[in-house]
Amino acid sequence: MWTPARRTAIVGIGATEFSKDSGRTPMQLATEACLAACGDAGLDPTLVDGMSLFSMECNYEIEVARNLGIPRLRFFTMVNHGGGGGCATVGLAAMAVHTGAADYVLAYRAFNERSWHRFGSGVQAHHQSPEANDVSFSWTSPFGLLTPAQWAGMFATRYMHQHGATSEDFGRIAVADRRHAANNPAAFFHGRPITLEEHQASRIISDPLRLLDCCQESDGGVALVITSAERAEGLDREPAWIAAAAQGVAEDQWMMRSYYRDDITGIPEMGVVAGQLWESSGLGPADIQTAMLYDHFTPLVLPQFEEFGFCGAGEAKDFIADGNIEVGGALPVNTNGGQLGEAYIHGMNGIAEGVRQVRGTSVNQVHGAVNVLVTSGSGVPTSGLILTSEGG
Amino acid sequence: MSDADAALETALQSLVGGQGSVQVATEPVGASEVSAWCAVMSEANPLFVDEAVAASGPYGGIVAPPATLNMWTMPVRIGSDSVGRDTDQPQQTAYQLLDDAGFTGVVATNSDQAYEGHLRPGDIVSTRTTLTGVSPQKQTALGTGHFVTTEVAYANQHGDPVGTLTFRIFKFRPGTGRQRGDEPVDDSPRPERPRPRWNQDQAWHWEGLRQHELRIQRFTGSGRLVHPPVVADPTTHDMAYDWVVASGRGFLYSWTAPEHPKVPAFDYPLVVGLVELEEGVRVVSNIVGVRPDQLEIGMPLEVCWLDSHDDVTLHQFRPVRPDRRTDTLVRDDVSVGDRLPPCPIDITTELVTSGALATFDHQDVHHDSDAARAKGLPDIIMNILTSSGLAARWLGDWAGDRAVFRNLRIGLGASNHPGDTMTMAGSVTDVGEGGAITVAFVGTNSLGNHIHGSAELALPEGSQGAEGSA
Repeated sequence: MWTPARRTAIVGIGATEFSKDSGRTPMQLATEACLAACGDAGLDPTLVDGMSLFSMECNYEIEVARNLGIPRLRFFTMVNHGGGGGCATVGLAAMAVHTGAADYVLAYRAFNERSWHRFGSGVQAHHQSPEANDVSFSWTSPFGLLTPAQWAGMFATRYMHQHGATSEDFGRIAVADRRHAANNPAAFFHGRPITLEEHQASRIISDPLRLLDCCQESDGGVALVITSAERAEGLDREPAWIAAAAQGVAEDQWMMRSYYRDDITGIPEMGVVAGQLWESSGLGPADIQTAMLYDHFTPLVLPQFEEFGFCGAGEAKDFIADGNIEVGGALPVNTNGGQLGEAYIHGMNGIAEGVRQVRGTSVNQVHGAVNVLVTSGSGVPTSGLILTSEGG
Repeated sequence: MSDADAALETALQSLVGGQGSVQVATEPVGASEVSAWCAVMSEANPLFVDEAVAASGPYGGIVAPPATLNMWTMPVRIGSDSVGRDTDQPQQTAYQLLDDAGFTGVVATNSDQAYEGHLRPGDIVSTRTTLTGVSPQKQTALGTGHFVTTEVAYANQHGDPVGTLTFRIFKFRPGTGRQRGDEPVDDSPRPERPRPRWNQDQAWHWEGLRQHELRIQRFTGSGRLVHPPVVADPTTHDMAYDWVVASGRGFLYSWTAPEHPKVPAFDYPLVVGLVELEEGVRVVSNIVGVRPDQLEIGMPLEVCWLDSHDDVTLHQFRPVRPDRRTDTLVRDDVSVGDRLPPCPIDITTELVTSGALATFDHQDVHHDSDAARAKGLPDIIMNILTSSGLAARWLGDWAGDRAVFRNLRIGLGASNHPGDTMTMAGSVTDVGEGGAITVAFVGTNSLGNHIHGSAELALPEGSQGAEGSA
């Protein structure tokens, strides 16, 4: 197993504002976010020689490189499967700088996901070729199962049935996210917490999912700079060391529709990630002070606690009760407000918040935060990170 | 309201409270008619037909199904829409006044039967009818009109009361309904569902669906079944496969009901289920004929078919008609909130016409599609006595032979037309003293709620285990 060995780090984070209508092109958002990340690191952008992207990124590395005036790229890659690839961009970047394939790598996501292309509008007009990737949608789309919320709903119903979880249990994730967002000036829902009653009163999107179980749709961009311990010494910021990085696909994996496994209440691909992160870092659940768990849909947050061993299978509804995942609780989660509260930047904003927690600069700072868990899309081929203040 | 309408209302109100003379059925309750009724309704309770079983049953002999209470005095109206009005009967006088004022349309809206005794073959039914109410003029979707309510007391030839019927009809002026034409008409063709795409690795599956076969891939070496199909047996990497045709039976493993965004190709509420087939594999499919709030994980389902495109047939799944229980529910086995297993009933021309005939309802809209279309209906419609008979049968299937109906109260809404499916669903709303329970139910078709209502049933006391209950 490879380990970044706390010798590679995220040294710069940058973001645009998070909105429903940026008024600018995704390319401009990408360029702004990348410049901001380099500026945060104190890095001359022309020294960047690697770019690590994940699919559904419409701003290819060569276009961003033109804007940044990057003279040469030695390492560039794009991880498949959308939101599951966020942490993997950092993992691959770390691998690149660890091996010497690149010195400074940018990872980013920038889009107008609200004002241009809304992911939640459905795939009814997509997937029209006879190739395997398109054919895979023939088993669901003709029946009207067309959006990520609908795909997630199938898991949620079974999870509720099998583990006795309720819509209110899902709602507690949303309440925690929005409480944290309310205190975050960068969050779209700054100053706007919600109650569990408001969650329960929100309209059904795909039964049992309610509106407030679903992440928002956002315009914006987030970029990260990854480099080695040696190069980090010459930069402005305290590094957020990468203690572990991993990707995961499990048996009979589908994209958001892994409905044919013996049990569909877990997220075994997240388990593949968890096992590697713990082994590679030498850490365990008790060593984590705060976690940024991918929260496109609240029902798919609960099994993440179980896959990472914070609690047993089916016990997440008890683990998250009584404010345990809010600031002041045993494991504050999504202290930026998550994708329900801060913005939906395909999980890259969660990685940036993980960096802030390690630096001690979060608006919802968890005291004594040393090790931070970050995850990417749940229900898809996915990835994860453990960031730490102890390394170098 | 015009002066004429006002005068009509005054005249109608003056009739309220009036009671007609006793009317006596021209034919006795007949065993063969009961048999025919049971056959049409698919009613299997032996207490209605089997003398040997019935002799030791709660009624001490064969009784007519309670839901037939008001069919033995149905007027024969072959060859005419309207029998002569008997001015001795206040409701007939009211109907005539309404006819004369142009309120010639009629639909039955409510039937509340309450049972006090039992009808047996050979009994001669007599009735006494009271006009209990005429509503002010109302505007409904059908038109402008008046609801007319009667209460009919039924007795046998000995004068013993057997039950009462509170019956409500709506008499309306044809053509005064809230027309769909008032709204912008969208006559653009309905968009097709997303088209499934396939290649030679799955074409056999889609060809099977066209032939109403749900084909599941079977690797010939290992016998392993895989769905959705792959190209190699994941265990042996053998690429030789054929398929088995699934039985089409399975159970609901999970589901979701998409509401937003709504896609024009689909009807909402839309249910997408994950169905675990008897063969052990799962398929994603629509669950039809059942609303989201009627779904239960584990409920038995059976395949049905949808021609979604010119060259594509999709499998769909619907609830399986529940088996009739062989014992009878006892009160201790029933709790408020218990759900009755949903039951689909295919509405065929045969069922509508034979149901009308079996309940002596000879109005042409129940058997003559041309006549129905001439009255603005898309096709023939099920009559109220068939609807109540089907509801009673479904309730009896759930409760068992010895559950005694105390009442059956129904209201009618969207019509049952041939080609549709009505799904009965309901739950227990009250468990009273003396073994009486109340079930509230609804029968839903593609147009909405066809029938809604409640029934009170007396169950035997005690506990004998709830095997087979919902």
